[in-house]
Amino acid sequence: MTEQPIMPVLGSEIFASRPVDPGTLRSRISDRLRLHTVEPGTPVDPLTYEVIRHRIWSITDEMGETLKRMSGSPGVTEANDFDFAICDELGQEVQVGLYNTGLVASIDYAIQWTLQNRADNPGIEPGDMFLLNDPWVGGGLHQNDAAILAPLFVGDELFGWTASTCHLIDIGGAKPGSANLSAGDVFTEAVPTPPIKLVRGGEMQLDVLQAFIRRSRMPILVNLDINAEIAANRVGHDRITRLVDRYGAATVKAVMKRMMDDAESRLRERLRSVPDGEWSSTGYIEGAVIGDRALRKIELTVRKTEDRLQLDFTGTDPQGGAVNCPYTGMRAGVMFALLPMLAGDIPWCPGGLMRTFDLISEPGTIVDATFPSAVGVAPLSAAWEASNLVAECFGRMMDVAADSTPRVQAGCTGAFDMVTLAGVDQRGAPVVSILFDTMAGGYGARPSSDGCETAGVAPIPQGRAPDVEMTEFLNPCLYLWRREQTDSGGPGTYRGGQSISICLVPHKTPAPLAASFFGNGKGRPAVPGLAGGYPGGPQVDLVARGSAARALLSSGTIPSSLSEIGGDLEIVPSKHETLIGPADALFLHPSGGGGYGDPLLRDPRSVTTDVRDGRVSVHVAGQVYGVVLTDGEPDLEETRKRRAELRSRRAGSGSVASPVPETGGTAPQGQQLNSALVVADGVARCVRCGSPTGSAADPYADSTIVRGPVDHALDGVEFPSELYTDDVVQLTQWACPGCATLLRTVVTAERQEPVADPAL
Amino acid sequence: MSYVIGIDVGGTFTDAVAADDSGTIVGAKTPSTPHDYAECVLSAVDQLAGKLGVTAGQLLADTKYVSHGTTASLNALITGSAEQVGFVTTKGHADSIFIMNVESRYLGLGEEAVKDVITTAKPAYLVPKSHVVEVTERVDFEGEVIVPLDENEARAGIARLLSQGVRAIAVSLLWSFQHPGHERRIREIVHELDPDVFVALSHEVSPRIREFSRNATTILSTQVAPSLRRYLEPLQGTLAERGLKGPLLIMQSSGGTIHADAAPQSAITTVGSILTGGVTGARRLSARLGHDNVVTADVGGTTFLVGLLVNGEPIREASTVINQYPVNVPTIKVDVIGSGGGAIAWLDDGGNLRIGPRSAAAVPGPAAYGTGGTEPTVTDANLVLGILNPDYFLGGQRRLRVDLAEQALLTHIGEPLGLTAAEAAAAVYEVQNAQTSDLVRKVVVSAGHDPREFAVYAFGGAGPVHAAAFTAELGARELVVPLGAAASGFSAYGLASSDVILTAELSDPMPLDAAAPDRIARGYDLLERRVRNALTEQGIDFSAIEIEREFDARYTAQMFEVTAAAPAGQVDEAFVSAMGQRFDQRYTELYGQGAGLPAAGRQLITLRVRGVGRMPFDVTLPSLEAATSPVENAIKSVRPVLLDLREGFVDTPAYDYAALRAGHRIPGPAIIEVDTTTVAIPPGRLAHVDEFGCIRIPLT
Repeated sequence: MTEQPIMPVLGSEIFASRPVDPGTLRSRISDRLRLHTVEPGTPVDPLTYEVIRHRIWSITDEMGETLKRMSGSPGVTEANDFDFAICDELGQEVQVGLYNTGLVASIDYAIQWTLQNRADNPGIEPGDMFLLNDPWVGGGLHQNDAAILAPLFVGDELFGWTASTCHLIDIGGAKPGSANLSAGDVFTEAVPTPPIKLVRGGEMQLDVLQAFIRRSRMPILVNLDINAEIAANRVGHDRITRLVDRYGAATVKAVMKRMMDDAESRLRERLRSVPDGEWSSTGYIEGAVIGDRALRKIELTVRKTEDRLQLDFTGTDPQGGAVNCPYTGMRAGVMFALLPMLAGDIPWCPGGLMRTFDLISEPGTIVDATFPSAVGVAPLSAAWEASNLVAECFGRMMDVAADSTPRVQAGCTGAFDMVTLAGVDQRGAPVVSILFDTMAGGYGARPSSDGCETAGVAPIPQGRAPDVEMTEFLNPCLYLWRREQTDSGGPGTYRGGQSISICLVPHKTPAPLAASFFGNGKGRPAVPGLAGGYPGGPQVDLVARGSAARALLSSGTIPSSLSEIGGDLEIVPSKHETLIGPADALFLHPSGGGGYGDPLLRDPRSVTTDVRDGRVSVHVAGQVYGVVLTDGEPDLEETRKRRAELRSRRAGSGSVASPVPETGGTAPQGQQLNSALVVADGVARCVRCGSPTGSAADPYADSTIVRGPVDHALDGVEFPSELYTDDVVQLTQWACPGCATLLRTVVTAERQEPVADPAL
Repeated sequence: MSYVIGIDVGGTFTDAVAADDSGTIVGAKTPSTPHDYAECVLSAVDQLAGKLGVTAGQLLADTKYVSHGTTASLNALITGSAEQVGFVTTKGHADSIFIMNVESRYLGLGEEAVKDVITTAKPAYLVPKSHVVEVTERVDFEGEVIVPLDENEARAGIARLLSQGVRAIAVSLLWSFQHPGHERRIREIVHELDPDVFVALSHEVSPRIREFSRNATTILSTQVAPSLRRYLEPLQGTLAERGLKGPLLIMQSSGGTIHADAAPQSAITTVGSILTGGVTGARRLSARLGHDNVVTADVGGTTFLVGLLVNGEPIREASTVINQYPVNVPTIKVDVIGSGGGAIAWLDDGGNLRIGPRSAAAVPGPAAYGTGGTEPTVTDANLVLGILNPDYFLGGQRRLRVDLAEQALLTHIGEPLGLTAAEAAAAVYEVQNAQTSDLVRKVVVSAGHDPREFAVYAFGGAGPVHAAAFTAELGARELVVPLGAAASGFSAYGLASSDVILTAELSDPMPLDAAAPDRIARGYDLLERRVRNALTEQGIDFSAIEIEREFDARYTAQMFEVTAAAPAGQVDEAFVSAMGQRFDQRYTELYGQGAGLPAAGRQLITLRVRGVGRMPFDVTLPSLEAATSPVENAIKSVRPVLLDLREGFVDTPAYDYAALRAGHRIPGPAIIEVDTTTVAIPPGRLAHVDEFGCIRIPLT
């Protein structure tokens, strides 16, 4: 499609936050502001450290409780779309909450920007609080994320900051909810606001408050959420002040610094335990606005050197349409993946954790969008897809060392499939709801276990899908089914978790329902598998026009498959708006989790159980897992033959070596690359048969490359990628030249030549 | 003479008390016997009889009722000895119990576990997929039948379950509480096929909206019922054989009891059986002592339980979490915040001192037990600091080895951090106190209250050691260590003094502001009839019956309901608007002024009626005689003890509790050795013994 180029806005650069080292930052802060600090490495005895550390955790916890309780918006109470932080005097985050982990990725930037730009005018004084919803500055990923920053003074010195940030339900712009799926630039979205002094010396500034809430379609709710954020900060201040009174500012600050140092050094130690190397991954955003069929590419290379990470997004497509995120969104994408994968067992002190990586990006791309690009849907688009790539690279990086293998996980759920229904409810009142059933995507498989089924989305550790009865009470609809969808988990030696599917019909409503869809990963499976495992099944949303469902219900039958639903199946693209009429049925299905390892190595008994429990179809069992069932039991001889046949097909020739599990031989020794490969004496070898697959620098050089289309089917209905995009999407697999065991599986657009790595 | 008996069978010990109508209370303690809990129940009865100077037969013959807290239900769930259950549900919705609304992946887990997202996992399935039968039938949100029940399909599915060896079936259909007909018909079909199969219907077990927790509650109840019945029937038989004429009553999660005959039918209500005795005991005591707001801290060897009394009543909740499943069962709010005296002290990967949540439990136990434990625990630290007396732990029942405790502290904490064993012990003590106050504070604050308005009641073997320190840190007003006549079994005392509580509820979601009074009146009438009938069936001559109405409501667009009390009397328009006001009031109480959003509208979700049958027996605490000799006479010994880090080891008198009398004042630092626990009084505090024998330490 043709689109207007984004014209740079002169004077907007000052709002673009970039990392700044503490020394430079200090030099840029006005002398008017006195900062409280302690020497690095100031000792604290272990007892005092642990008492204060625990108390700081308990204070963040209480801030979160306060915010959650006082808020009235469903984003906060249902989707946990909020978070908060306690920071030191420079805004480095000491402790954050367990809610939306991307929101805290740029609170430090927001504070650093405020320190540099507000200390002289209007000044940063005791009792002040600053409000912002400018994602270029920080504190959130898009304009809906409003952060409130509260400087905390001890005497006349700025001791630290508390901050809360929360997704506000509507802050204006062209579309209700402030997500404009046709936005060309930020001027057709909600207005971003850089830090403004909302509370002055403890007193709310009514003019400032009203200037902010005036833009909203739901000012009462927004006001309530802002009150909740202020209250959370006050709780934080009250309790930190008591802590300082009791132990002294220097001791508390020393603990704060050490908490960050401790988290940093533990993450560095983890990084050191992994061999140095480089891992790359490519992902896409499907459609930049409603009606667009193009794929936009995100490129990532992760380089690990000793105890440092570099995440390089060079090569990512230029910004455009509604699917961009600013620099802060890219950093959020990194934190979405880094916190659970690398730091699940390390304290979440981002101020320390974030010192371990550098980001490289090209301004003006979809992951580093410059003003005035549209960024209103940043969390669900570029930021989330970036996090999928980061997760995949981290997964492969951690797979290289036996010590870190327990923290390896293939991709989880992919993008959130956000579906909003609006209409007239069964009582005649207007109703708008997000169908949070799509939270129930599948988690990725791990090197020794299947992925958790219908487990949630990675960025929100405590997400939730509502009960059917509650959805039907609140909305004019009737669910035909809500189930774990067969074949949605990525095939592998260990299978990715299944994702949910729901099918509903409008019920007792006088009017059609207006549906809006914002997803990604429909035209291609976007949730990567690892070590040869397949990606998780793609998102599929459908409208069955003129469905037979109503007639079937009237005749005493409950339809349970797409073929029974009947009607014309209308494929819903990633970004779409449509009406659901009384005779239509709506089917929603988020992505499943990625698989780990070659599915031909999966224990036939596990496949049998999967088939019995409806997790895998007989067809996929035979074609992908190579397991032949007779009367529901595995036929081991036929399975062996089928698997040999599938291997021959991969190899393109008649004869292949048998892999180790079948010969009972011993695996070759060497540096593990993942569960499929080892490197010894500069040669990479297949763990299964010992065949060389390449060199240490290019371990896949001599492997067999198998290419084919991405095919996906549900209930016998095919979903080829050309339904969604004009780009040709393909599956590329690297197989061992000896036994044809899969070593790696990726999905790319054909114009893209997939790169096989790692290169150690 | 007539008696009542309370028996609390815990994981490690069984506590019992017997009270007579003249104000005498005696206590007994005996090891629990997991192979057959009836054994320890009977042995406790023997001990009680011995202390009263009567035979067990005489005691039982004169006993009005036995109130029993049991782990039988919970154990059945935890140990997997639960019944093989089949599950019948609406076509298209079998996977509700596997999807678990996503939330069971993290529900009830601590912060550390939730944070390690990759390693979180859903709990074991309630039933295997092969034991689920979907039946064609559909009812909508207002109870209209959209698709009638396909009886032939149901019969075929149930026959398949029976052929798989299933002997108990849970039936839970969508919207069954709005239209119970389909569930009832399925029960008939099961019984047509096999009249002996146990069937539970969700609209009877838990007629509440939200199918996942209703499904889970119905299945769990079905799993527990047969084993509870197998436990209670012979126990009732044996007690009757030995002379008991009064009923055996089983404690429920609600803090009230239910007749043993009726317990298996609502088996799930007994899973919290042993958790609530402490709170009900504290409720009785608080009325005597004049405390409105109380935090109960019940600390044993393996758990640290916190409960709350507000305005003299326990905080009630409509649901709880069991094994990561949300379960609809009326519950007294009791939070497990830690791992008790057995909590292990360790250094994390960053070299930081951490305590718990892992516990040395009873096996291998703290290092000082000398029973194989090598990791240092809180108990080991207390011993090294001189707070515990190695020769008088639990009244001398167990000798403690100071050398082993020191060794464990030195090896795991002291040497890596460059501390002596005593310094390491002091660090553990201080950290434990500070963190306990953080966690107790969280419980109080998240219930919408201010800790400064509370007294703390500390009990359990490991509670009173740390209580004075964490209570002060918390900012609470006073510490009470309930001792005296009921010392050996505060929970058992709570049991003996509990009333029968039965609850009935029904979801009938509707916009509250426009609700028709008729509809609410019909709901409450039905529930009140149910509760009154059920109370009558208990066969107890209650001194009074009280009926309380409550309801769950929420502001539109919010996810969870808040429970509020409904007015008594005629249900008319004024009643409905009073419900709205009471809901707003309760919401404000919980979440603060201005937090609610009445402009969004209110939704009424569930009506509930609680019936309380007051027991015709008032268990009173006997008074302790007043002190006549100086308190110094009660000093057993003086030893160096560290109770405050800044002061280090200080020569501290250890008092013999048995020699203390009402009115005695004990200045800190001091240790009071009781045969069941140890009370530490920090420097600068002044404790006194009250008329019931409780140790009281005012803090503000």
